[in-house]
Amino acid sequence: MATPLLADDNPCRPRHFRPPPPCAPVVADAKASELIETCRTRLVAAAALFAVVFLVVALRLVEIVAFAGASAESHAGRIRPPAPSLARADIVDRNGTLLATTLDTPSLYADPRQILDPAEATRALTAVLPGLDPKDVYAKLTSGKSFVWLKRRLTPRQTYEVNKLGIPGFQFEHEERRVYPFGDVAAHVVGYCGIDNKGLAGIERALDGTVKARREPVALSLDSRVQFVVREELAKVVQDFSAKGAAGIVMDVRTGEVIAMVSLPDFDPNHPGADDPGAADTKDRTFNKITLGDYEMGSAFKIFNTAMALDSGTATMAKNYDAIHDLQIGRFTITDYHGKHRMLSVPEVFMYSSNLGSARMAMEAGAERQRSFLARLGLLKPVPIEFDEVSKPHYPSPWREVNVITIAYGHGIAVSPLHVATAVSAIVNGGTLRRPTMLKLPPGTVPHGERVISEKTSEQMRKLMRLVVEFGTAKLAAAPGYVVGGKTGTAEKNSGGHYQEKKLVSDFVGVFPMQDPRYVVLTMVDEPHGTKESHGYATAGWTVAPATSRIVQRIAPLLGVMPVDETSPDIVKALTVDSLQGKRIESY
Amino acid sequence: MIRLASLFWLALVLVSGFAMFKVKYGVQELEDELGRMRKQTIAEQQEIRVLNAEWSYLTQPQRLAELNRRFLSLAPIPVKQLQRGVDDIPLRPPPTPALPPMEGATAPSGPEPAILAAAPAAPLPAPDTIAAAPQPPSAPVTTVALRTAAPVQLAKASPSRAPRTLDDLFAEIGGDR
Repeated sequence: MATPLLADDNPCRPRHFRPPPPCAPVVADAKASELIETCRTRLVAAAALFAVVFLVVALRLVEIVAFAGASAESHAGRIRPPAPSLARADIVDRNGTLLATTLDTPSLYADPRQILDPAEATRALTAVLPGLDPKDVYAKLTSGKSFVWLKRRLTPRQTYEVNKLGIPGFQFEHEERRVYPFGDVAAHVVGYCGIDNKGLAGIERALDGTVKARREPVALSLDSRVQFVVREELAKVVQDFSAKGAAGIVMDVRTGEVIAMVSLPDFDPNHPGADDPGAADTKDRTFNKITLGDYEMGSAFKIFNTAMALDSGTATMAKNYDAIHDLQIGRFTITDYHGKHRMLSVPEVFMYSSNLGSARMAMEAGAERQRSFLARLGLLKPVPIEFDEVSKPHYPSPWREVNVITIAYGHGIAVSPLHVATAVSAIVNGGTLRRPTMLKLPPGTVPHGERVISEKTSEQMRKLMRLVVEFGTAKLAAAPGYVVGGKTGTAEKNSGGHYQEKKLVSDFVGVFPMQDPRYVVLTMVDEPHGTKESHGYATAGWTVAPATSRIVQRIAPLLGVMPVDETSPDIVKALTVDSLQGKRIESY
Repeated sequence: MIRLASLFWLALVLVSGFAMFKVKYGVQELEDELGRMRKQTIAEQQEIRVLNAEWSYLTQPQRLAELNRRFLSLAPIPVKQLQRGVDDIPLRPPPTPALPPMEGATAPSGPEPAILAAAPAAPLPAPDTIAAAPQPPSAPVTTVALRTAAPVQLAKASPSRAPRTLDDLFAEIGGDR
């Protein structure tokens, strides 16, 4: 037998041919076998590692596939319901009625190159959008451009109709637009937005940041029903007395929440720029008389004058003042409108609205006391309410004696109606001045306030204000069962430094129910003209006092104020002025 | 031995691969569904917004007042109708025991003929409306005539004022741009 050839020995061996193994195992040297052993160990370790990893993956898969229920549940919490991205939050009134909202308003455009049959498309489109001119649409659709506007701002219904046509080439461009479903009812309060969704007036402007940042609606203190009633009654006053305008505010005396705020003429916030076909121009209508107007409020200021005298102790309810002699100060002569020409006690001065008595009361207290009292009531600085549009009061500086006299009956100082409503709330609510607010407070909260007069003075003022309606200048403001009290004011308008006798501002500050005040109703009318029914008078007692009576009777049930028997002993006792007891009260 | 192990691992790879793709597609499907749901939710929220706006627009006080004038004639609650509690409502006066029941039954019918006699005089100023209406007995005629006459008048007086849908509001605001 020939010696076996070594593999490399035979040059003719094909490359794939391997020689059979030798009959006896090749005994490698010790070093090589050790090397092979190490490799094998490493391989096993690696394989085991992979096996473990794959096993884990496999087990996890089995778990997910076979027992999906439990683990899927744990993920559900992580998925948030989507919220539409809104440019501005809704604004609602205190009952949740929508006053301002943002709607998606699609605009329709077309790509004429994609339109297969322009004639048919025109016919179909004009059938669902009757406002479009077929010729115009056809011209646009055959123009060969790649983009033509067809109609701006479709309603949701029209959008649906156009989509239903299913014509390729019609497209919508979506944009958000602010919509005010209530129109002009709360125009000045809600305000309006510009085309770029920026608040330009009212709450929209004052709370622009808040409205933009939040999702939940902003709840105002306003009650849209009360707002409507006040607006309707004031519109009636404007019409009846052919006045230039009117304004009204209803405020909760306990919290400072503004329940209604009306300024006529007003505007429709859906298109604030559009001009009224009537007389008033845009500037006139967007002007909020309540916050931005400065008026000499006339005799309504006697509320503050009397409260000042009573609270500082310079006058008492029983004290008498001279209403016989006219007052001469420099070139001014002070007289009474309806002079009684006798000595009048404080309640009489108040209820007959005597300028002479009030002036003498103020002179007795002095300028410093008067100024600091009015400052304490917040009448000498802008009202701290949410609005940006607030006026700065006009008052004399230096505060001379003649100013003391005129301010006693509300001339020579001009404040906004909001000032007066806020201060009167403090006078009647027990003496606490609270910051007025346009935002709804959680029910039951009473915001912190600052004491401005004593409880006792507040009670006396309530009695005096009730007298005015019972016997004084505002008998027409009475609303049976609701125990209205208040004070009238009629001022001549000051233009160019002198007063114009025929141009009046008449106002009435009403409070109800007087035995336990809940709401202040301030109404004023700008340049009313007397009518036959009012015997030619345009004073507050004939114009806004009756309107207040109607307003109170309509809003009291809405506000949950129950009528009471005005002759019941409790109420009589709460509102009787002791110093007048036994005297005959002559009618005004 | 090696063959068996390989087969086992091969099977495991196939099974786990299959399972993985199944899960992947399952997840994808769920993602799609979630996306659809989100889209649908947003669309429905948008619709709710529109409906809220429409509700508010259609329940604005002016419109309700106008509709009330036309169909209901409700008035503000007079003070005498407002009572604090049950105690404030006066009890019915006790029946007078002196009268026998027969007389009590006839007594109320006493003034009725007078009312009936007076009733036909009332509708006379509007004879055309009566002619249009059917001719039931005299007393109901007055109510029928009034019911048909009143809405017609008001519809003439204010046909355009009362809004009907939100489209009216859009038509109003659509102009300026």
